[in-house]
Amino acid sequence: MRYFNLFSDILITKGVNRILISDLQRNYSELQSLELNNIIEELKSNSIEDVFALYDQESKEMLQEYLNFLVEKEYGFITENSWDENFPPLQTDFSDSSTISNIFIETADLMFSPQLVQSIENLGIRHLVIYCESKLSLMDFLTLEDTFNDSCLESIEIFSLYHEDVNDDFVKKLDEKCLRIYSLIFHKCDNAAFEVTDTFKFNLVFTDQHLKINSCGKVDLKYFETNMLKVLEAINHNSCLHKKIGIDINGNIKNCPAMCNSFGNINTTTLEEAILHEDFKKYWNLTKSGIQICKDCEFRNICTDCRAFTEQTHKNNDGLDISKPLKCGYNPYTSQWEEWSLNPLKQKAIQSYSMQQLNYDA
Amino acid sequence: MILIISKKQETTTNEVIKWLLAMGKKFIRVQEDEVFEIKTKEKRIYIESDRNCFYLDEISSVWYRRGGLKFKNFHYDNHSVNIHMQEHQHWLHDYVIKTLESKKHINKQSNSAVNKLFVLEQAKKTGLDVPEYYLAENTCDVVLDKTIIKPLTGNITIDAYQNYGESIMYTHVIDRQEEDSFFITFFQEKIEKDFEIRSFYLNGRFFSTAIISQNDERTKTDFRKYNLEKPNRNVRYNLPIEIERKTRQLMELLDINCGSIDFIKSEEKFYFLEVNTVGQFLGVSSMCNYGAEKAIAEYL
Ligand code: SF4
Ligand code: SF4
Repeated sequence: MRYFNLFSDILITKGVNRILISDLQRNYSELQSLELNNIIEELKSNSIEDVFALYDQESKEMLQEYLNFLVEKEYGFITENSWDENFPPLQTDFSDSSTISNIFIETADLMFSPQLVQSIENLGIRHLVIYCESKLSLMDFLTLEDTFNDSCLESIEIFSLYHEDVNDDFVKKLDEKCLRIYSLIFHKCDNAAFEVTDTFKFNLVFTDQHLKINSCGKVDLKYFETNMLKVLEAINHNSCLHKKIGIDINGNIKNCPAMCNSFGNINTTTLEEAILHEDFKKYWNLTKSGIQICKDCEFRNICTDCRAFTEQTHKNNDGLDISKPLKCGYNPYTSQWEEWSLNPLKQKAIQSYSMQQLNYDA
Repeated sequence: MILIISKKQETTTNEVIKWLLAMGKKFIRVQEDEVFEIKTKEKRIYIESDRNCFYLDEISSVWYRRGGLKFKNFHYDNHSVNIHMQEHQHWLHDYVIKTLESKKHINKQSNSAVNKLFVLEQAKKTGLDVPEYYLAENTCDVVLDKTIIKPLTGNITIDAYQNYGESIMYTHVIDRQEEDSFFITFFQEKIEKDFEIRSFYLNGRFFSTAIISQNDERTKTDFRKYNLEKPNRNVRYNLPIEIERKTRQLMELLDINCGSIDFIKSEEKFYFLEVNTVGQFLGVSSMCNYGAEKAIAEYL
């Protein structure tokens, strides 16, 4: 008798109509049928021969094809006599040494107070995302790099306004001098000064879109990312807000700059103080399994759970917003994607946010 | 207070330190460029460098990772005095090292470098299966395609050799005879493997990973030759209890309580290959979500 063993780093997420197979080692996910899932389940408690015996002649061919597929993709392997019991399942617990791992700052310049830099160090923050509505000079970038020299910060992503000084030379200098920048996005750029051909240390993007802080949170196939740590975090915690802190343009400390709740202002409160607020971590343990609609979706383990923009339809007993993210056009019940902003059921929520945005701009 | 002896910018050390900070455990990190002087105050011994200063009795546990404690050595003009003072200093240095190593520790400065040949001999004694090996200066006894060579050194890289920046000496299968004799070389029987197993070992515990590359010709002999297109699969694995017991015995014999240990699984057999005390184990361990850094921080 032969037995099929699924590798422990292959995660199967079952949706309403399909499954998503995520290869957590090779950082890759693909959609497959529920039929394949049934076969995988049967192979967990029966030998290959016994599973074949369950099917009629015609289906046996299909079964063989599925089995070949699983082996060719190296999703598993076949053993004789019994399953190889020495391969234990993956433990899905998530642990991270930092108190806060991500900080998202909306700012007008790249000058950070010594207090803020110290707080970033104290909290063990590894990743910094900066959203900036103004034009930044080469000097600004270099000063930023300098600010975090010798710190525990590992990576920086910057969204900033495109301007004419951003040319070949500018970017080459950045590449030479900066270690931590891993992603640079220049927005509102109608005409990039040069073609992005060189491979830099960082990922470089010029976009004609005028990004705003409320451009964040879009859900789309192209933003999905299969990565073991992110998936483990998503299984145990909120995939966007866990261990995240935000500072908005006015210095208010929040879960992310686009959220409403403020836990103090950086001019008077330290980040360490802000996270002690009883509500600061309230979303940290809300996983997709607690979110309406998402809980039935095959993408739930690789999707980001935006809490700043939601459909605003459901609250749980603790007052947490458990509605589906607003900017997702996917319907797991029909397996169809459509343009989220045109959905009639979302108009009320969309309006409520744009009104807020108006107040906010004023 | 925990004492960490390591090198600058060493990633494993940095990751463990993040956990120590998170756990609120106090530590001192000593780096390779520090030179200590031994001093006393109120009958207590302390050692001091440009960066660090601590009493020996303050230290509760020691993690030896890389580098080592270095001491200032004073010389004297008078030959006889100098001979005496050299010995005098030697015993003081020795005392400091021995005292630190007698505390709760992870590896020791005095025996962290392992001799591959000696380790294989000891492994056989504990009853582990070891692929046949021998030393030779020619290929007369080599069975072609069934024999490999590999370096005996801990460091398997060569800097600036010929036109290469850095060369790595991979395990290599012998496919032809050499006419000339050469410098004494380590030969070993090539084992047809199902897959390799790398265990991170910490004070009796095993965190094992199967490194599966059998579908891939390019990684067949040595998994360090990564195939980036289709990377090896690193998944959790439990070694048989009997193999763990024998390996534990080996580690006790070698007086090493932390390191990574390589095996080859070939049908029913588990062949022991080597122990590495300084290597990077984080990559393989993190693919299995073992949290080895956290385990080290907890132990200290
Ligand atoms: S909660 Fe939404 S807006 Fe805030 S960071 Fe996450 S995805 Fe972006
Ligand atoms: S339904 Fe929910 S989980 Fe599925 S793609 Fe949309 S936001 Fe993500």
